[in-house]
Amino acid sequence: MNELFINWIANTPGYAAPYALAALGLILCERAGVLNLTAEGIMLVGALSGVGATLTMGGYPQLAIIIAMIMASLVSTLFATMTVLLRVNQVIAGLAMVFFCQGLTALLGNLFEWKNQPITGIGRIDVWPLSEIPVIGHIFFSQDLIVFLIIPIFYLVNRVLTRSMVGLRLRAVGESPEASDAAGINVTAYRFLTVMAGSALVGLAGAYISVASTKIWVDGVTAGRGWIALALVIFARWRPWRALLGALLFGAIESAMPRIAAAGIKVPQYFMLMLPYVVTLGVMIWVAWSKRGGATDEPGALGQPHVREERR
Amino acid sequence: MSEDAISTVPNPATSKRRLHGIRFNLEVRRDISPWWQAAYLAGFIALGIGISAIILIWAGVPAGDLIDQFLVETLTDSDNLRSVLFQGAPFILVGLSASVAFRARFWNLGLEGQMIWGGIGATFISIHHIGPEALRLPIMIFAAAACAMAWVAIAGQLKLKLAVNEIISTLLMNYVALNFLYHLLYGPWRDATDGFPHSPKYADFERLPDFFSFSGALPLALITALGVWWLVSFTRFGFYMKFVQASDKVAGAVGIPVARITLVSVLLSGALAGIAGFVVASGQEGRLIQNFSDGYLFSGILIAFLSRNNPIVAVIVAMLVSMLFISGQSLQVFYQIPFAMVQLVQAIIVICVAASEFLIRHRIHIVR
Amino acid sequence: MTPALDLVDIRKTFDGFVALDDAHFSAYAGEVHALLGENGAGKSSLMNVACGLYTPDAGQMLIDGAEVSLAGPSEASARGIGMVHQHFKLVKPFTVAENILLANPRRSFAKGIREISDEIRRRSDALGFNIDPTRRVGELSVAEQQRTEILKVLVGGARILILDEPTAVLTDQEAETLLTTVRGIAAQGAAIILVTHKLADVKKFADRVTVMRGGKTVATIDPSTKTTDELTELTVGASLPLPARTPGHFGRRRIEVINLRCTRADGHIALEDASFYVRAGEIYGIAGVSGNGQSELAEALMGVRTPESGLIQIEDAGEAVSAASPARMRALGAAFIPADRYSYALAGSLSITENFAVGGVGTGRYGSWAHLRQSAMKKDAEEAIGAFDVQGVRTLSQKAALLSGGNAQKLVIAREFSRSPNVIVAHSPSRGLDARATAAVHSRLMSAREAGAAVILISEDLDEALALSDRIGVMTHGRLVAEFDAPADRQQVGRAMVGHV
Repeated sequence: MNELFINWIANTPGYAAPYALAALGLILCERAGVLNLTAEGIMLVGALSGVGATLTMGGYPQLAIIIAMIMASLVSTLFATMTVLLRVNQVIAGLAMVFFCQGLTALLGNLFEWKNQPITGIGRIDVWPLSEIPVIGHIFFSQDLIVFLIIPIFYLVNRVLTRSMVGLRLRAVGESPEASDAAGINVTAYRFLTVMAGSALVGLAGAYISVASTKIWVDGVTAGRGWIALALVIFARWRPWRALLGALLFGAIESAMPRIAAAGIKVPQYFMLMLPYVVTLGVMIWVAWSKRGGATDEPGALGQPHVREERR
Repeated sequence: MSEDAISTVPNPATSKRRLHGIRFNLEVRRDISPWWQAAYLAGFIALGIGISAIILIWAGVPAGDLIDQFLVETLTDSDNLRSVLFQGAPFILVGLSASVAFRARFWNLGLEGQMIWGGIGATFISIHHIGPEALRLPIMIFAAAACAMAWVAIAGQLKLKLAVNEIISTLLMNYVALNFLYHLLYGPWRDATDGFPHSPKYADFERLPDFFSFSGALPLALITALGVWWLVSFTRFGFYMKFVQASDKVAGAVGIPVARITLVSVLLSGALAGIAGFVVASGQEGRLIQNFSDGYLFSGILIAFLSRNNPIVAVIVAMLVSMLFISGQSLQVFYQIPFAMVQLVQAIIVICVAASEFLIRHRIHIVR
Repeated sequence: MTPALDLVDIRKTFDGFVALDDAHFSAYAGEVHALLGENGAGKSSLMNVACGLYTPDAGQMLIDGAEVSLAGPSEASARGIGMVHQHFKLVKPFTVAENILLANPRRSFAKGIREISDEIRRRSDALGFNIDPTRRVGELSVAEQQRTEILKVLVGGARILILDEPTAVLTDQEAETLLTTVRGIAAQGAAIILVTHKLADVKKFADRVTVMRGGKTVATIDPSTKTTDELTELTVGASLPLPARTPGHFGRRRIEVINLRCTRADGHIALEDASFYVRAGEIYGIAGVSGNGQSELAEALMGVRTPESGLIQIEDAGEAVSAASPARMRALGAAFIPADRYSYALAGSLSITENFAVGGVGTGRYGSWAHLRQSAMKKDAEEAIGAFDVQGVRTLSQKAALLSGGNAQKLVIAREFSRSPNVIVAHSPSRGLDARATAAVHSRLMSAREAGAAVILISEDLDEALALSDRIGVMTHGRLVAEFDAPADRQQVGRAMVGHV
C-alpha cells in the first residue's frame, strides 16, 4: 500500500504536466484578451509534430519537442489572424481551429504513416545521488526533463507577466485595449504575438503527451485535455501558480485511476475514465458557487475584438 | 505651485517626418447592401473550396476526378443519392439544434452527448419493450428527446443559476456521455447474440419506415425544420428569442422573461439533438454502435453558422454537408483518403466564411 | 508668435458620415483655449485627431509651426500633446503608478515603478492633487481618476494639454478647483485646450473660445466680449427656451420607495436607506454627481437589479403592491428611459419596428402567442415615428443602431409613452443629445406630468433637474441627503451635493 502511494505521488507530475503547460499558455492568451478555445486542437498539433519529428529524425526527442512548439505556434497564427486581425468571433474561430487541427492531424498522421508507430520518447532522469533518497528521491528527483523544467517555466512566465514592461502592456491590452491604445501600445501586435507564444506552450503540452507519456501518435491522443485546461484557467482565476496547483490536482486524479484498479477496488472501467471530466465539472460548479456575485478576476476585455475607430 | 508641475522642455523627440504615403484605416460599417454581402460570402466559400481541392489533390486524388467524385457520382448514382438524402436528415436536425441554442445565446457544444443520450433513451425503450408495437416508434422518439433534454438541462441550469460557462460544461459532458455509452455497450447492453460491443438490433417496427424507397428520416427532419421556422419567425417566443440573442440585458429590461426563453430554447435544442441521435441509430445499423455520434458536433455548428441560424437555409446547407460527407466516404474507399479530410474541409470553409464577415462588417479606408 | 498647435482644414468621415468638415483650430502656449459646442458638433473628433487617435482624411496639423503627420497616440505624446479623455483611458485593475508607467514607458519595470511613483508624489504635491501612486485606479473617485489622467500627461512632458469635458463628472466645487489648477499650469507656459459645452466654465476660465457646430468651426473669439446668450446662440444656432411651467396638480402617491439598499459587486454600498415618494402629476428630480448611486437606483427601479433590502411600491387600483421584475413593473404601468439606451432599452442589431413593437407584443396587441401580425407592428411603429418626430429612418426594417443618439432616444420615448404610463423613470434622458432633441425630451416629460403621471427624473445635469422638477432629492454617496421644493436654490442644492448637510 505504501509502495502504491509513493508510486501514485511520483507519477502525478507526469500527468499534471500537460494540464499545467496548456493552462499556462491559455492564461497568457487570455490575459491579453484573446479567448482561446483552440487548446484541444493546438495540443494535437504539438503531439503529432513531436512524434513526427522524432520519427523523421530517428530520435532526438528533446529537439522534436522544440519543433512541436514551433509548429504549434505557426498553426496558431491562423487563429491569431482570424481573431486579432480579422476580428472574427473568438468562439467560432476557436472551435473552427479545434476541428481544423483535428482534421489536419488525423490526415497528416495517416498520410505520413506516423500513426500507431511507437517511439522511444523522453525518459526519466535520475538526479543521482538525490534520487536514491528513500521516498523523496523517487518523487522529486526521478522525473523527466520537462517536469523538471516546469517550475522554471512557470517562474519565468509569471515574472514576465507581473514584473516586466512587456507583461504590463500585455495585461493592459487584455484589461482595456482602449486605454492601451491611447498609451501608444500596438494592441494588435501584442495580441498576435501573445497568441503565438501561448500556443507554443500549449503545443509543448501536446508534445509532452505524445513524446513523454503515450510515446505514440493516435488520432485524438489528447482526449479532451485541452478542454480541461480551459476549465483550469477559470479555476485558477487567470493566475499561473494557481493553475499549477489545479493541474497537480488533476494529475493526482488521473494518476490514481490505474492504481485504484490495481489496488483491487472495483469501479466500472468507463466510470473511471469519466472521472477527470466529472471532476472538472465539479470544480467549475464549485468555483461558480463560491464566487456568486463576486469578482471572477476575468480579464476585462476577454473575447472582445479591438477596433479603434468604432462609432455607434 | 512649483516649477516642477509642468515640463517646459520642448520635445521634438521624434523629428523624423513621415512620408506622405498611403495609410489604411479600419472602420466599422454602418450598413452594407445584401448583394455585396452575398458576393463576399460566395467569394470566400469559393476560396475555401479551392483550398480544399488543393489539399485533396496533394493528398492523392487526381484533379480530374474531383468534380466527378463530389458532384456527378454523388448525385447520379442512386445508392449514393439515397445515402445523401438519408444522411441529410440528422444533419438538418443537429443544424437546427445548434441554431436554436445559438439564437438564445447558448453555445451548445454538447450536441454529440445529447445525441448519445437520445440514442440511449430510444434503445432503452426498445430493449425493455415498453409500449405497444404500434406506438413503439413515437415512444422511442419521445424518449430520445426527453433523455437528451434532461442531459442538456444540467448545463442550461448551471449557466442560468451559477453562470457556469456552457462552452466548457457542454463539451466536457460529451466525454461523460461517451464513456457512459461505452459502459453500456461493453456491459449490460452488449449484444448477446454476437457478443460485439453494440446494442441488440431494433425490431423492424422500431425503425423509421421508408417512403418510396427513401428513408423516412428526411420527411421527419423537414417537418421539424418547418416547425422550427414557424417558431422562430412567427410566434411570440421567436420574437422574444431575437431580443435575447441581440442583448439579454436589453431583453430583460424591456420585460422579456430571459431565463425562461433561454431554458426553453436550450431544452428544444437538446431535444432536436436527441432525435438526431435516434435517427442515426435507427437509420444506419438499427442499433447503438460505439461512435455513432462522431463528427456531428462540428457539422451542427457549421450548418448553424453558415445558415445564420435560419431553419430553411439550414436545410439547404445540411444537404450540402451531407453530399460532402458521402463523397468523403467514397474518397476513403477509392483513394484511401482518411475520413478526417471531411472534417478538415468543413473547418476550412468555416474559417473562410468567418473571414468574409470581416469584410462584411468592416471597411478599409485608404487615406493619402 | 506661432501657435503651439495649429489644425488647418481638418476633414474626417466615418463610413460616409461627416464628423469634421474643414475644421480649424489653433492654440498658443500660455493660454486656456476653450472649444465649445454641442454634443456631436465634432469637438471630440477634432481633438482625437490632434492626439493621434484618428487619422484625418484631409487637412494639416502643425506643432510650433512645423507640419506633422501623427502615426498614433505615442507620437502625439512624444511631441508634447497630452489628452485627458472624457471617458478616462485608465486600466481599472492597475495601480496609479502602473497606469502612468504604461503611458510613459521605462526600460525596467521595477525601476520604472519607483521613479514614476516618486514623480507622481512630487507633482501631486505641487498641484495639490493628493494622489497615492500605489492605489488601484478602480478604487479611486472620479475626480481622483481625472487627476491621475492629468498626472499621466504631465509626466509624459505634455506642453499641449487637451481636457475633454473635464467638469462633466465633477461637482461645482471640484470643477472650480480643477480649472484653477489648470490655469496655473497654463501660466507656466503650457497650452490648455478645454473642450466643453458649459458656458459658465468658458466665461470664467478661458482666454479664448472656438465654437464648433455640425463638424465646422463657427468662430474664435474672446469670451469676455460676448454675453452668455450670445455664446449660446453661436453654439446652438438659435436658443431654445425651456418648456413653460404650469403649476402642478398633485394627486395620490403613485410610487413609493422605502429604505432601498443595494451593494455593488465589489462589496461597496451603492445605495442606502433611499426613501421617497412621487405623486401623480409630479416630477421628482434626483440630483447628484454621477456615480453616487444613481445608476443603482435607476436599475432597481427598472427591476433589473434586486435590492438587498427595501421596497418599491406602486399604487395599483388604490392598493400598494411591490414591484419586482421589469415585466411586473411594466404590467403595473411603469415606463423607463434608461441612461444607457443600448444596455437597457434598444437592441441595436434589431429593426426599428421590432424595437418599437416589443412593448406591445407581451400584451397580445399584435396577436396571440402563436402568430404575430407583422403588418400591425409596422403600422404602429410608423405612426409613432411620425408622432414622436424620429428622424433618419430610411426604412422601418433598418437597424436601431443606425439612429443618432437623439433619434434613438425619441424611439425609446415613443415606445415607452405609447402605453400612457402612470409612472415614468427617466435617467439622464438628455445625455448626449443636441439642444433640439433635449427640448423635445423635456417637453415630453412635461406633458406626461400634465397627463397625471408620476415622473422620477434622475439627472446628473443640475440645470435640467432644477428646470423640470417639482421637488428635488439630492443624492450623495448612495443616500438621499436633502430634499427641496421647487423653485430650489441652486447654491443650496449644490452644497447638498457635496455633502455639506
